[in-house]
Amino acid sequence: MTPHRPDAGLTAWICAALLLCAAGAGVPHAKAQQVSVDDAAQAYRQIRIEVDYAPAETIAGFEIWYAGQAFESTGEAELHSTIRVADTSALARGPEDVLFDRCWSDGLPIHRDSAGSPVADPDASNWSCALSGMTPGAEQWIAVVPVGADGAPLVDTESLQPVVGRTEVPDERTPPPDTRPVLYALSLVVLSTVALLLFLRRQDARQGRSKSRLAHVYVAPALIALATLTFYPILYGIWLAFTNADQSRLGDEAWIGLANFATVFAGPGVWRVTLFTFVWAVSNVLAHVALGLALAVALDRRGLRGRMVYRTILLLPWAIPGYISVLAWNGMLQPDGLVNGLLGTAIDFFDGAGSARTVVILVNIWLGVPFMMMVFSGALQALPSSMYEVAEIDGVSRWNQFRHLTLPNLKGTLVPVSLLGFIWTFNSFNTIYLLTRGNPYSGFGEPGATDTLITHVFAVAFEYGQYGVAAAWSVLIFLVLIGFSWAYLKRTRAMEAVA
Amino acid sequence: MNGNTHNSTDGGQGSATLAERWYVPVEIRALRVWLPFAALVNLLILAGEALRGNGAEQLGVLGAIVLLLILRASLPDGRQRWRRYAGQGLAAAILVLGLLSLLRRDATFYDLWATSWLFAPSALALYWMSAGLSGSWCAGAQDAGAAELGLARNRSLAPRFEAFALHTFLIHAVALVVAPVIWIVDVSISPGNILGGAIFDAFTLEHFRAVLGGEAFWLWTRNSLVVALGTTLVGLLLAIPAGYAFSRYQFAGRKGAMFVFMLIQMFPGIIILVPYFMVMKTLGLLNTSLGLIVAYSVTALPLCVWMLKGFFDAVPRALEEAALLDGCNRVEVFFFVVLPLSLPAVAITALFSFLTAWNEFLLALVFNTSNDAYTLPVGLASMIPATGQLWGDFAAASIVVSIPVVILFVLFQQSLIQGMSSGAVKG
Repeated sequence: MTPHRPDAGLTAWICAALLLCAAGAGVPHAKAQQVSVDDAAQAYRQIRIEVDYAPAETIAGFEIWYAGQAFESTGEAELHSTIRVADTSALARGPEDVLFDRCWSDGLPIHRDSAGSPVADPDASNWSCALSGMTPGAEQWIAVVPVGADGAPLVDTESLQPVVGRTEVPDERTPPPDTRPVLYALSLVVLSTVALLLFLRRQDARQGRSKSRLAHVYVAPALIALATLTFYPILYGIWLAFTNADQSRLGDEAWIGLANFATVFAGPGVWRVTLFTFVWAVSNVLAHVALGLALAVALDRRGLRGRMVYRTILLLPWAIPGYISVLAWNGMLQPDGLVNGLLGTAIDFFDGAGSARTVVILVNIWLGVPFMMMVFSGALQALPSSMYEVAEIDGVSRWNQFRHLTLPNLKGTLVPVSLLGFIWTFNSFNTIYLLTRGNPYSGFGEPGATDTLITHVFAVAFEYGQYGVAAAWSVLIFLVLIGFSWAYLKRTRAMEAVA
Repeated sequence: MNGNTHNSTDGGQGSATLAERWYVPVEIRALRVWLPFAALVNLLILAGEALRGNGAEQLGVLGAIVLLLILRASLPDGRQRWRRYAGQGLAAAILVLGLLSLLRRDATFYDLWATSWLFAPSALALYWMSAGLSGSWCAGAQDAGAAELGLARNRSLAPRFEAFALHTFLIHAVALVVAPVIWIVDVSISPGNILGGAIFDAFTLEHFRAVLGGEAFWLWTRNSLVVALGTTLVGLLLAIPAGYAFSRYQFAGRKGAMFVFMLIQMFPGIIILVPYFMVMKTLGLLNTSLGLIVAYSVTALPLCVWMLKGFFDAVPRALEEAALLDGCNRVEVFFFVVLPLSLPAVAITALFSFLTAWNEFLLALVFNTSNDAYTLPVGLASMIPATGQLWGDFAAASIVVSIPVVILFVLFQQSLIQGMSSGAVKG
């Protein structure tokens, strides 16, 4: 029999036979075996074959060989997979939803051993497999070779007669999910923003402020952009926090009430990660402000030689892209890195919880000092130098000048910048993600030793795929930050600038 | 009343000498401050020794810290002669401790630095207490004339001492700052992917060749450029009119809108990342430059609006009014008067948007999962996975990416700092 070419779209069983008896007389225990391609079960990059054979004790397994053109010997083909024949009484039938190389025996999912490899029962006379990794729209030649207990083939592998199969499922991305709900929601947001602006404009007109007629038009694009890409996601996120959204349920999530919040608070390590977030933010800000102020004061000293050189070099941690510096520190802190080289040790700083935490904080301090230094430098330059000259004449010591002249005068900068620094550090992600990814690991779903709230939310969402739980975390962080921002905006009297 | 005044000018305590009240040699003043600092630095060194698990060294450093503090407490006070000899003895003891620790092993660069924090303070103290002080001052027997001379000497020497301390502090800071830079340069020119070892002991351009000769780097650069330029353009188009309106007009909802723009800055991208991701996925914007451009322009928008508002505020209104009188309409005034005048400011805002997009990591990481869509940050980070880390190539690519960015930051440091804190701090 010649290999048969099944027509695309044909849903009938098309059988091509590989008859072992035809292969030659020298093969012992030659048994009839029939391989067929199931064209009805087309799937993406998969060809399903069905094998019927007479069970025999000599058969210890099957090898499936394939190639892109006709072949006669296994030397011209590639081994796709193997199926063992063994006692299956102690094994479970594999899950139906494995993605690759799904196999069935007697119409049920095939047994699988502890390594996940398929195993057929010695009594079975039939199995089928959906072979994955096949090029769509192209013919594939497939041959099945029974092997004995010693792994040697039971048929002549020089005169194989493969079957031909193809899958016509196109090589495309899966169609995008239904975009209509999102588009409706976005249009609604845009329309309500426009309506709000029109309403405000009418109010203006009623109050007789004709000069500012165009103002709302000017603000409109920015406001609409903000509404669609910030307010809408925030609202969507709040909705997600009450649903069972996860990686497999995108777009058809269902309301589950407060369950996600219960998951958050019942989970191990909630308070630990919250505490570490605050330790992280507070220690960083204290160090940033103290060191930044010290450097700014040092650079501000009159007659300091090489000020511009110092200043430029000290700016580097701010100027170099943050992710590059953090990755560089990652390399330097490896057991065979520069830091250990200098100390003459081989410590893995990222191994223990305590040392990993210290290290992430130190690296972030390194990153953040220059910004504070620059801010304070600017503020110091604004102070009148005559103030210090008078103090000098009066014999006030440097320390007292700093305490009683510099500090009180810097307070207007110090307080808002510290609060802002706190919020920024609280929100920071790169340092921890690129240094430790929150490790040392403390258990599945649990925040790692160096996780902050922010990096943990990332892990929950994009490593564990629990969008709903991540959204619940986000809502909680949002509430905490509203508190901080409120305090900050009140302290900085920003609203007076607005008025 | 009269007696009180007399007392306060002449010295409150009966036993206080003139020298004690008015004249302390600058060396002693310096040591009073520097010795505790030296003790503090040695505390850090002690932590380093603890990491090394070196028992004997830890004891030595601990002893030195105690001695430094005792030395600080027993510095000559211009009254008791014995303090001078005690100080000399203590300083000599610390010097010996430093020598011992140096002799105990093959000194690495770090060891040299660490022991220098024993040598330098103790040697200075020993020298000054032997040669720099007059015996009569130490004994509290100095007369007013000598004290006056000493004061003049203090005045001339103090700035030098101060400069010495400042440079010591700044040089330490500089060393900490440049260490990663030197390391990255070293890794980029060393063959293989060696993280430690001697600095600048080999030279090869293999990593630069691999990075600049490969396709991936240029693909990432192209993606980053498209995203950053697109962000700048879209961001400015949205922010300029808004900033102008906030600066020039009084209108209903102005206060609320500005408050919202301020508040939005305070929230981390992560809390809207999940819904953002789902919207992008639904709209098919994952793995596209457009998705990132849209996301970045909106992320940077509030700060840009605030920056521009500040800059527009600085453009005098009188010019606009003159132009209005001359018959221009509002739009013409904006394009032909305000915009040209605030062009430098707009350029700074553009630079800010560009750099924000150029350096952003988190959104790019989540939205672009395909290698073809990586921007430079994600691409560079992808060179350092858990296994098969290409440190050499990463270092070479980092240098190529950093140099233009660092130059921009250094050139425009003042404006960028002002801008970054303007929306937030100026209030």
